[in-house]
Amino acid sequence: MPAHDVLILGACLAGQRAALAAADAGATVAILSKVHPVRSHSVAAAGGINAAINPADDWRSHAFDTVKGSDFLGDQDAIEVMCAEAPDEVLHLEHIGVTFHRNETGQMDLRAFGGASMKRTAYVADITGQAILHVLYEQLMKYHERVDRYEEWFTTSLLQDEEGNCTGCIARDIRTGQLEVFTAKNVILATGGAGQCFKPTTNGLICTGDGISMAYRIGAPLMDMEMIQYHPTTLVENGFLITEGARGEGAHLLNADGERFMEKYAPNKMELASRDVVSRAEQTEINEGRGVGPGGVGIYLDITVVPKKRTLEALREIVNIGKDFAGVDITKEPILIRPGQHYIMGGVKTDVNGATPIPGLYAAGEVACVSVHGGNRLGANSLLDTLIFGRRAGEHAAQRAAGISMPEATPLSRVREESAWIDSIIDRPKDGRRVSEIKDDLGTEMNRNVAVFREQDGLTHALETVRRLKEEAKTAYIDDRGTVFNQDVLGAIELGFMLDCAECTVMAALERKESRGAQYRTDFPERNDDEWLKHIDVSRNGDDTPHLSYSPVTITQWQPEERKY
Amino acid sequence: MKVAYWPGCVSRGFTPELHGSMAKVAPLLDIELVELDRACCTGAGVIAEHNQELADTLNARTFALAQQVQGADLMMNICSTCQGAQTECQERLDANAEYREHVNGTLAKYDLRYEKDNLANKNFLWVLVEELGLDELRSRVKRPLTDLKVGPFYGCYIVRPTDRLGIDDEKPRDTYLSLVIEALGGTVIEYAGMQKCCGFPIITMNKEASLKQAARHLGDAQDADADCLVTPCPLCHLNLDLQQPLAQRHASRALDMPVLHLPQLVGLALGLDPKELGFQRHVVKPASVIDWSTSVVAGVGDEGGAVSARGW
Amino acid sequence: MAETGKPPESYTLRIRRFDPESGAAPYWAEHTIELEPHRSVLEGILQAKGRFDGSIGIRCSCKAAICGSCGVRINGQPGLACHTHIGRAKETSRDGVIEIEPMGNMPVIKDLIVDMDAVHWKKVQRVTPWLINKEPIPEREYLVDRESMVDVTQTMACIQCGACVSDCLSMEVDPLFIGPAALAKAYRFVGDPRDAQQYERLQDLAEDPHGIYDCTHCFKCIEACPKGVAPMNQIMRLRRRAGSDHHISDRNNGERHEAAFVTLVKDHGLLWEAELLPRSHGGNSWFGKFAPKAGLELADSLPVITKAMLRRKVTPMGALKPHKIPSADLKQVQDIYDTVHGRDERLELNLYITGYDEDEAGAQEPAAVAASGGGDGGQTAAEGGQPGMTPEDSPTR
Repeated sequence: MPAHDVLILGACLAGQRAALAAADAGATVAILSKVHPVRSHSVAAAGGINAAINPADDWRSHAFDTVKGSDFLGDQDAIEVMCAEAPDEVLHLEHIGVTFHRNETGQMDLRAFGGASMKRTAYVADITGQAILHVLYEQLMKYHERVDRYEEWFTTSLLQDEEGNCTGCIARDIRTGQLEVFTAKNVILATGGAGQCFKPTTNGLICTGDGISMAYRIGAPLMDMEMIQYHPTTLVENGFLITEGARGEGAHLLNADGERFMEKYAPNKMELASRDVVSRAEQTEINEGRGVGPGGVGIYLDITVVPKKRTLEALREIVNIGKDFAGVDITKEPILIRPGQHYIMGGVKTDVNGATPIPGLYAAGEVACVSVHGGNRLGANSLLDTLIFGRRAGEHAAQRAAGISMPEATPLSRVREESAWIDSIIDRPKDGRRVSEIKDDLGTEMNRNVAVFREQDGLTHALETVRRLKEEAKTAYIDDRGTVFNQDVLGAIELGFMLDCAECTVMAALERKESRGAQYRTDFPERNDDEWLKHIDVSRNGDDTPHLSYSPVTITQWQPEERKY
Repeated sequence: MKVAYWPGCVSRGFTPELHGSMAKVAPLLDIELVELDRACCTGAGVIAEHNQELADTLNARTFALAQQVQGADLMMNICSTCQGAQTECQERLDANAEYREHVNGTLAKYDLRYEKDNLANKNFLWVLVEELGLDELRSRVKRPLTDLKVGPFYGCYIVRPTDRLGIDDEKPRDTYLSLVIEALGGTVIEYAGMQKCCGFPIITMNKEASLKQAARHLGDAQDADADCLVTPCPLCHLNLDLQQPLAQRHASRALDMPVLHLPQLVGLALGLDPKELGFQRHVVKPASVIDWSTSVVAGVGDEGGAVSARGW
Repeated sequence: MAETGKPPESYTLRIRRFDPESGAAPYWAEHTIELEPHRSVLEGILQAKGRFDGSIGIRCSCKAAICGSCGVRINGQPGLACHTHIGRAKETSRDGVIEIEPMGNMPVIKDLIVDMDAVHWKKVQRVTPWLINKEPIPEREYLVDRESMVDVTQTMACIQCGACVSDCLSMEVDPLFIGPAALAKAYRFVGDPRDAQQYERLQDLAEDPHGIYDCTHCFKCIEACPKGVAPMNQIMRLRRRAGSDHHISDRNNGERHEAAFVTLVKDHGLLWEAELLPRSHGGNSWFGKFAPKAGLELADSLPVITKAMLRRKVTPMGALKPHKIPSADLKQVQDIYDTVHGRDERLELNLYITGYDEDEAGAQEPAAVAASGGGDGGQTAAEGGQPGMTPEDSPTR
């Protein structure tokens, strides 16, 4: 039975960074992921990573942009940590081999990004996330004797001892169907977001909120769950992400009248206002009949204004996406986009070391809510978030491990219980609904009523739907009776995770009766600092229903002010 | 049709029957061959591997020579590898004006210059389908290859990469051998190895792997009941025919698979004497194609004329 | 133009199924699904999985050709299921049914899922796949050429999907071949100016009998790669660096073969095959054929040589006397060699970086070889050649 000082669940950027940091700090480390690490969804982050590495820049400027981007809901102590440590982290990445693109003097080149007051986004073409993820995996291969990798293992539950400490997890070897207990002094969740609650989404099929739900189920509070980011540029055809880097390189947004409508909404930053602002502007144009394309459901993203050579070099991925998935040569004609679900600002509540209120349980990356993103995340801050807090969690967990002894082995009865639960899903009679149908219904409902614009009735409808689906999920059946790569049964478990996340999101959105960041209530269109400058925490009641409470926003240097771009 | 003709090195070296059979076949198809006898080796990818600019400049010189041939409709080669190596250089030369000028700068002192958009460079196979046309080819057949089961073997350089070679729905060049075999009255034998590698490029580096590749494809063709293979690539011919006695060791059985050059197959159907086509030069006797005892082309039906057996 | 708004159509998928627990052989299962033609084959498979049979095994996540999970073979061609339009897949199918199989060259675990660890990842681990830093590590970033980082980004763009491994023809006969993906990964370090051990890496890969010289140059990996990594090109660049930059004379004859080839063409304008093989084994000079290694090779090839002689395919004269191009032309060729070799830096045009010039009218299909009329002497010589029956008759002799 494996036992480690630090057990990391999920091998995304945050997870891999945590593993390397914990190993460097002398801990015994295992990293476990339901997919091969390079398949993790960090791979899809395109545009870049923010850091004030330009000597003319200052991390405080980066921090202020982030605070403003968050619509003042971000915790400023955490934002300060992230932005102050950003330059060293990015230089560290450069040193271990990330192929950051250079300027003519051989230094790292920086590109403009939304909501930023200067160019501070380091990048590798438009595959920055992929480049960093693969370089970290290179390092994991280098560390192959120091970090145990469990690739294609699916965690089904977190383990807790009687004092409430997190002591490991139970996971299923996807290749054999075998259940195994992983004992650990510390568990770091790096399982990513829950975009699959929405349809369409830019998120991969693996982004099913596993860690959020598992932590929630053992009592960890979630925070800012109502804050769902809709990315301004996703392909109308199929919801694919078109990187913000495109606008960073100078691309325009045009409505049906050929007008650069962002003039009306963000006269200074135009297309490079924060994502919530741009998405809302686009949706307004579409709703008011100035959309383009079939049914007027889209907006034109015009990349032809970027020099072709630059597009081919720096935006290669979207050249291909345009060609392959939309039949459009983006160097010659505009491409049809619209806002699409992209990121969740909320997650498992942590401190600046990634520690959750449950001893021994950490979280980093999209699964976590530190909260550095508050009401709205700035582009190119997510990669930074994963790396800074992944590293900090790894280091802190290693440190904590040095002072405590290995938890006692979990009794076998607990494994049998888990095994019986999974078998019961496999054995369900085919008289309920199909898992895939319930998932579709969930995504459609969330995207209809918990999207860019929200209001009481829609949210209430969404809550009713989610609760009905939760009931239906209890009897949903699957086809696969096997043990080897039974993705079907894992899908049923994931559906449960997603429904937990969705329920918390809808309840928090109903609760927040104001408009801030990504939460725009048409019935409460103003930001209301007097009543709502606070986080909404969601934790689980004994009876399986979410319980809401509040926690204060940490303000250090920047008082809330009107937010204009 | 008048073509600037590049025969390549091997067709004048180890596979002389290729160059020879092309010369015999051309007049029957009204193709006038103007041999580019001043041009040098394409490098077969090896010179490019050594130094890209060197390969590009040498081939640009060849293209420039071809462009000087008065009244030629196009440039033609009879070697898949030449086709691939040249097309790769041409792609680079055509893609970038600055680079093209740089290369032309080197050629300037020989009064040579490669002009973009002014040189269609096609393998004999493509010429047959795209320039001559299959109907025309069919109409010239004197001795249809009835009942002859022919396995096509393309050679890598003429089927990949598809975009560089201009292979698409309009020009499915990776199916042309089958079309030609059918037009000549033969039966196409499809087998796993048709578009795979003969193994020749690594014969000096990993002989075993190289011969295993040849053996595998020859064996697959045999299993699919082919009488013979046909290839537009003399290098493939070296590995499939010349090396067949060695390749056979890796097949654990007798292979005995004749391999024809494309012009030989065409020539046979156009009524040429097998000897004129140089069949006697093959390591594996084309016994299934030619009945050696009676010297009659086998399986060609009633029209098949007797062919003298003198000398072979 | 954009392809939105096309109505859904019916597609039949024929999926290769394999259940390792059943003890039964692989079999085909067909499902008919409805999708718009511009949707992907992966979406088709997921629909079949969602609506009809949840037990169909396929790895997938991003659906956008970036995570590299869904490598499969569609109608025999390797690629990403999410990166192949379903309408297009139907067009390229043999019988209107889209055939989906697991990738090749790797063992199948279940249905469309193959064991990448056993093959692909093992090979990646083989090439020391991490940066070995040049010392001292600078306080800030390494200062490197702008182009160098764009250049290695081509290999960094590899998503480790295994499509190239699936189709590798060298691996098909030599499972130990390091293979296209891992060698492309190796170039990512050899081409990275921050790496301290480029020579050691190259020597390692050149000396390995299953290393860079085991690639058979078949272009399969270039064709298979959904990300434009062009692994074979990277392998050729590894060879170029090993041979030309570091003069690594490997035991696999790789460097000698290249040197012999290049020298023979320089000396004669055309390839002299009879000399190429012995020199590749014995060394790049006329004396190469007398080296013991060349002798061994000669002995091994004796059956072939005897046959070739018997058939007059190869004549003693032909083997001993090379064919050449006219001396004035040979001089030009040699002059070009000297000019290019004399450059300070080797010029390499990577179309991945530079892209293509804007299309001009008529760029697609060149019409004909028009006589440019400029060349004086060249013309007559070019006009003069009519090929004869045998090389002896040919004017090039």
